[in-house]
Amino acid sequence: MEYNILDSIDLNDPAIYKSFTDRYFSKRYILNVNGIENNDIMLMFHSNRITLLCLAPSHFFFKKKDKYTLNFNIGKIDRLSNKVKGKGKKGGQALFPDSVICKVEWSDGSSFGIPCGMRGTLVEINENLIKNPELLQEMPDSDGFIAIMLSSIAITDATKNKLLTHEDYMKVVNV
Amino acid sequence: MVKNVLAKKKYECATFACALSAPMATLLRERAITLRLAEEFPGYDDKTLTALKEAWKWSFGVQLAAQINKTLDSGAVSPLLVTLNYDYADDMQELEILKQVSPQLFEERSKQKRRFVTEFTRRSVEQALATASLAALQAAGGGLPTASVRALCVGMVCAHAPMYLAGRYIKLSRNLPQSPWILDKKRVLPSSVQEIIYKPLADFYNMDEEEADRRLKLIAAGREDVDVRCLGEGRPFAVEITDPTRQLTADELAKACQLISESKEVIVKQIVPITREDLVQLKKGEETKSKTYEALCIKLSHSQFDDVSPDSPVKVTPEDIARINSFRNTPQNSQNSLNNKSNDHNDSNGDTSDEENNANTLDANGDSLNASPDSKTTKTDIQNTSEENQMAKNSSDAKDIDATPEKNYVQVAEAMDTSLNSEKCDNLSDVKIVIEQKTPIRVLHRRPLLTRTRQILELEAEAVPEHAQLFRLRARTSAGTYVKEWAHGELRRSRPALRDVLRARVDLLALDVSAVHLAWPPPPPPPV
Repeated sequence: MEYNILDSIDLNDPAIYKSFTDRYFSKRYILNVNGIENNDIMLMFHSNRITLLCLAPSHFFFKKKDKYTLNFNIGKIDRLSNKVKGKGKKGGQALFPDSVICKVEWSDGSSFGIPCGMRGTLVEINENLIKNPELLQEMPDSDGFIAIMLSSIAITDATKNKLLTHEDYMKVVNV
Repeated sequence: MVKNVLAKKKYECATFACALSAPMATLLRERAITLRLAEEFPGYDDKTLTALKEAWKWSFGVQLAAQINKTLDSGAVSPLLVTLNYDYADDMQELEILKQVSPQLFEERSKQKRRFVTEFTRRSVEQALATASLAALQAAGGGLPTASVRALCVGMVCAHAPMYLAGRYIKLSRNLPQSPWILDKKRVLPSSVQEIIYKPLADFYNMDEEEADRRLKLIAAGREDVDVRCLGEGRPFAVEITDPTRQLTADELAKACQLISESKEVIVKQIVPITREDLVQLKKGEETKSKTYEALCIKLSHSQFDDVSPDSPVKVTPEDIARINSFRNTPQNSQNSLNNKSNDHNDSNGDTSDEENNANTLDANGDSLNASPDSKTTKTDIQNTSEENQMAKNSSDAKDIDATPEKNYVQVAEAMDTSLNSEKCDNLSDVKIVIEQKTPIRVLHRRPLLTRTRQILELEAEAVPEHAQLFRLRARTSAGTYVKEWAHGELRRSRPALRDVLRARVDLLALDVSAVHLAWPPPPPPPV
């Protein structure tokens, strides 16, 4: 067969086997947000200034095995009512580093909020978390992402450059 | 002057049309004369008056024709247009009287002398004159004194109507964008399909690179990613040439194809001239025609149906292939449903295809026609996974396409109705999978966030003998489907995705466009 697809790529090149998130995103970490120990979040930066908010693997959330629910109603703001219009994502909720995107509420009554870690606009909440909240626990760095945010190039670059890289994070958590 | 310009440009066209860009004062004078005539000779029909431009065309144009050796024709017929611009020194002065006749029209612009260089525009002058009466004009001083200076020709513009060439390009490179990719004024990749196609054409027209970029335009029926090849007959495209001096000969076009193909990255077998009307087909193709893709996929985890130890290597099984080949979430054609029913019962694996086949064999009332033994096996399989547990609990949620078969049927039928009506899919009879895709993250920064309904029209999988973890996929999709996102599911923002069919994580290693289903170049008109 002319132009056989198998011959058109180098199957020995490890780069082609990167996962979807590793292909397009740079991971960065914020540890102990607001001074709370192991309140660790992970921001995945796409080169096009879109950022995904996720929990870092070292977050204290993963230590507790109790049942939990996710609440997207933060005080006066319902994150689920977020609506964006057009290319500029107008109308999206404004986000600041301390803005809480979602609250995790355990069956024993305790809870904590997940901060978004950077300035930007809320584009989309991961709706799959509503129907399948267990995704947060099972696939926190892919299907269980929390939200999609959009910022300017300036803010995205500045934020990315001052946060912990993946290599440094691995060193810290393995200590 | 005209002769000089034309000699420089060397238009091959044998005919030409000429047009006059006259000073605005002529509008005023024409109208004044008309009104005077109407007054002096009641019953004078002002429509019989030959417009100044027409009169000029037939007198001057004829003389010009002799000088430049071309035949004078009307603008509707000849593609070559010669426009002469005349200026008149007292133009603005004469128009001043209009300020008295219709002051409100010009007030705005007069006030903002800084912003508007001229106070009078052709349109506002026409507006003022339309309602002016002779008396008003005369009162303001429009007695039409003899012009003190002649109008002078200050410039001319020759332009040929654009020409179009059509072809199809095959893209063999996995590192080539369709148009130049420049970020922050720096080249990200050295070349592009556009530049490779332009080069020989620009050379034939003696255009340098910068001129080619300005005067040539690539119009393609869609676009593939940088790392995606375009095979088969290739992607339909057209090149628009502005102000061409001539038509390229068949030999030159053939030579251009040869030169393009020498790049080894892009192959064009044929380029033919087409008309502007033909272009409509091209853009329509982008929106309505389907495309066939071939993908090399990798199975990344065990399928929820694999009966193997979790540590064993991941392999693509014949059941996986069968599952992909038979997957659908739309009801089959009523003519086929009888055949389908018997096939269902012959299915020995009790795999997911049964779940979808349950949907297929629903009769008009939405009741499942399958015998219970099959469904029991399926339900047990389903309950073993937490994902399905969640879905069973939330079966009342109509949004989830993977919900219980009955809901599935209704939901999908509705989705299909609206999508087929609005998408004008070119194959209404048998859509295999209806999918919903949110705007992919990789383009989300410049496109609005939307959920788009698309169709997978055909789907076929094939194992790769030398590589147990890989499989080939052939799919025909409706226009505008993001195939990469459909394959890996993009964090569930594209559903139901290939991973939902296999119940395993999958990714795409390589993608090729096998065919763009559009008749292009357009067939030549039948001989008269």
